[in-house]
Amino acid sequence: MSRGVRWSALCIGATFGFLLTASGLGDYHTIHDGLLLENPYIFLMMGSAMAVAFAGLAVLRRIGRTRYAGRLALPHSRIERRHVYGGAVFGLGFGVGATCPGMAVAMTTTGGLLGFVVLVGLLGGLWLRGRIERRQRQPLSTEPTPPVAGPVPAARP
Amino acid sequence: MLGWIGAQLPWWVAGPGVGCCVVALYGLINARLGVSGAWLATIAPVEGWRPDPWRRTFLLALVVGSAIAAVLGPTVHVHGYGRLSEVLPTPVLVVVLLLAGVALGYGSRWAGGCTSGHGMSGCAAGSPDSFATTVSFFSVAVLVTLGLHWLTGGLL
Repeated sequence: MSRGVRWSALCIGATFGFLLTASGLGDYHTIHDGLLLENPYIFLMMGSAMAVAFAGLAVLRRIGRTRYAGRLALPHSRIERRHVYGGAVFGLGFGVGATCPGMAVAMTTTGGLLGFVVLVGLLGGLWLRGRIERRQRQPLSTEPTPPVAGPVPAARP
Repeated sequence: MLGWIGAQLPWWVAGPGVGCCVVALYGLINARLGVSGAWLATIAPVEGWRPDPWRRTFLLALVVGSAIAAVLGPTVHVHGYGRLSEVLPTPVLVVVLLLAGVALGYGSRWAGGCTSGHGMSGCAAGSPDSFATTVSFFSVAVLVTLGLHWLTGGLL
């Protein structure tokens, strides 16, 4: 791993963890009240994040290349059943626990030590899915689906 | 702990900040920001494959960043699990949370991403699979939450 890649992951990871925590997403009630449709915070936050990212990616697409990893290739995959089913199973955990893989970290560091239990379960769930895929002789999902170099308008002359 | 920052940044600071993280990770190392993928990288040795090396760095940094926010934020005290810990006795709660975690892990690997990977990074890139996953998990999460609220007579 080159120095640039390591520093990128370090800085962005730390900023991301900081923002998830400082925005109170580690608090059960922030997410629960959001999913009860009583508090719009999580939807406003996610919506504004998407809007900013969308605008930023429009600029990146024009540039067409990345700092440390060559040509830009944004993910673009078609819908399969697993996205709907997997999303539904994920949503079940999201609804019951009012947390997700990133927010559970924020919960744990801010004193909600039961968030750690969720994280243990999370690792178990990831492993379990891998085991089932292996049983079905599927190629193992290594979730970082490498950016598919599909029909992405990357480099515009 | 130090109380230098409040319990909740305004959404118009936190949201755009997170959006910038997504763009920066694409622009610097051409990678989709995703937390479940980072967790998956930690169990890769058990399954015998090699993850992208940046994923573990990212996860470690995420934990450190989160801890920094906790230190700068309001006083940290050990607490339960919101209304869930008022409704359920602790042993039952632990089992429920463990199962909720399993659902999060199982579902995110099946779908190939979670709230950050599909929900923000994938959707912002306009990937159809991310839209499908996000619509699926958000609708199920809202339905489950509203259903539990109704079933417990407003306790949850």
